[in-house]
Amino acid sequence: MTTRTSSGGTGGSSPLTELESVVVAGAGQTAAVAARTLRRRGFEGRVTLVGAEPHVPYQRPPLSKEYLAGEDDRDELYLLTPDWCEGNGVELRLGAAATAIRPAERALELADGSSLRADALLIATGGRPRRLPGIDGDRVRYLRTIDDADRLRAELRPGARVVVIGAGFIGCEVASTAIGLGAQVTLVEQAARPLGHVLGDLMGDVMAALLRTSGVDLRTGEKVEGYAETASGAVVTTSGGAYLEADVVVVGAGMVPNVEAVTGAGIETAGGIPVDEYCRTSVDGVYAAGDVALQWRPELGRRVRAEHFDNANAQGMAAAKNILGGTSAHTAPPWFWSDQFGRNLQHAGHCDGADRVVVRGRVEDFDFVAFHLSGGVLRGAFAVDRGGDLAVARQLIGAGAVPDPDVLRDEDADLTELFDTL
Amino acid sequence: MDEQRGDEQPEEWVEAASLAQLRKRRRLGVTVAGRAIALFLVGDDVYALDDVCVHKQRSLSKGTVLNGRVICPGHQWLIDPATGRVEDRDECQPSHAVRIAGDAVYVDPRPRVLSEEH
Repeated sequence: MTTRTSSGGTGGSSPLTELESVVVAGAGQTAAVAARTLRRRGFEGRVTLVGAEPHVPYQRPPLSKEYLAGEDDRDELYLLTPDWCEGNGVELRLGAAATAIRPAERALELADGSSLRADALLIATGGRPRRLPGIDGDRVRYLRTIDDADRLRAELRPGARVVVIGAGFIGCEVASTAIGLGAQVTLVEQAARPLGHVLGDLMGDVMAALLRTSGVDLRTGEKVEGYAETASGAVVTTSGGAYLEADVVVVGAGMVPNVEAVTGAGIETAGGIPVDEYCRTSVDGVYAAGDVALQWRPELGRRVRAEHFDNANAQGMAAAKNILGGTSAHTAPPWFWSDQFGRNLQHAGHCDGADRVVVRGRVEDFDFVAFHLSGGVLRGAFAVDRGGDLAVARQLIGAGAVPDPDVLRDEDADLTELFDTL
Repeated sequence: MDEQRGDEQPEEWVEAASLAQLRKRRRLGVTVAGRAIALFLVGDDVYALDDVCVHKQRSLSKGTVLNGRVICPGHQWLIDPATGRVEDRDECQPSHAVRIAGDAVYVDPRPRVLSEEH
């Protein structure tokens, strides 16, 4: 193996003599970041990524946005090119799902019957869309992979009748992209508000207004009761009495973590793979990160599984550093964005459970940041087209700030002054 | 690292803003020779980057400056205001030379793009 130099300016200093190989179950965002981090930190041993999909690691966020809209090419999505992998000695085993681990040997078994032994295993198998019982047929689409996006992309034509089931982030983003492509969109959500469980009632109402003013027929508080296909399309019926004819039905009902590889290996798997803030599972030498990981959050006193890009990056990086003998805790507040209807939405920390919401800007113009406080402590923030303010909020949340609400509210006050009071 | 443009070319300074304007929010979007440029005041230093982010075309002058780095409002990319280098990425935001004379901020509208590290 060739000698490598650190390219990221963060070269590791430990000799890493005992660690010779790392196998990553998964080949998505988390796996790609982990592989890059291992090499940047100077690890020269074997690195293998095992991917169920036949594709080299690619970004998923654009699959419901720019890529689905036909604005991005495949090439723009790739995270690790075959050239980079070859130059950095990272082996990709693609089209072969990880099926099981043998913890005593730290071996990973693959669907093709082979197995890989390593000194450290990182489980980054992500998840798959949650299927809705009874909603099954030729016109039903789920969105998780690049192949899913390619298929749906061809169907979101001008005038197409699109029914989206579930007003979570994927559902709302697909609705936005479909509207942008000229489709007629009905969005059915069983809860009272879109995204209410993440954003709370107040901001859920804002999202409902954004969807409706953008031309989406939003039907909240309605359950899907029936699904049938006819010669000319599909019919979705709801508890609200709606009879919705569709050319294509997109289900966005959340995801199920792919925990199967560790089932029977002495690791809990209810709701994800439990890890501490160092991405360590209960088995020595076995780590988990990304969508599949159920991470201990000291500030919340509970474990949380996050399904976002930033979490995949941060955990992938932390896991890689810790595999190399570091003690890198992932404790930064969660952060994610969503681009919908020409607006940029961003969320940091935790907005649920707030006892006070302070708004800076104008909610009615979709130009604001809503600070969510609990006992005076800034716990979360949600912003529409206010990424600058959100960046400050993110730091304040991480610092456990107790900000002056008047400064938060006052557009003439500089938010960064709040750092002086920490 | 190399710059695409040689330093031997004559300088080209265009008055872009006053320091007083920039001090209000420490960031300011201006148009210089038809080009959208974002000015940032970091400590006592003024930096200029192309306003349109290389990532998703968001306006950097609507972002913020924290810990000496510009944060894009679109997707929180962290950009070094002096070089345009993006943290943890290969992309580079075009930057511009800045000169201060009295209260006036002058910008060279020709972009500098640092090449990737090898």
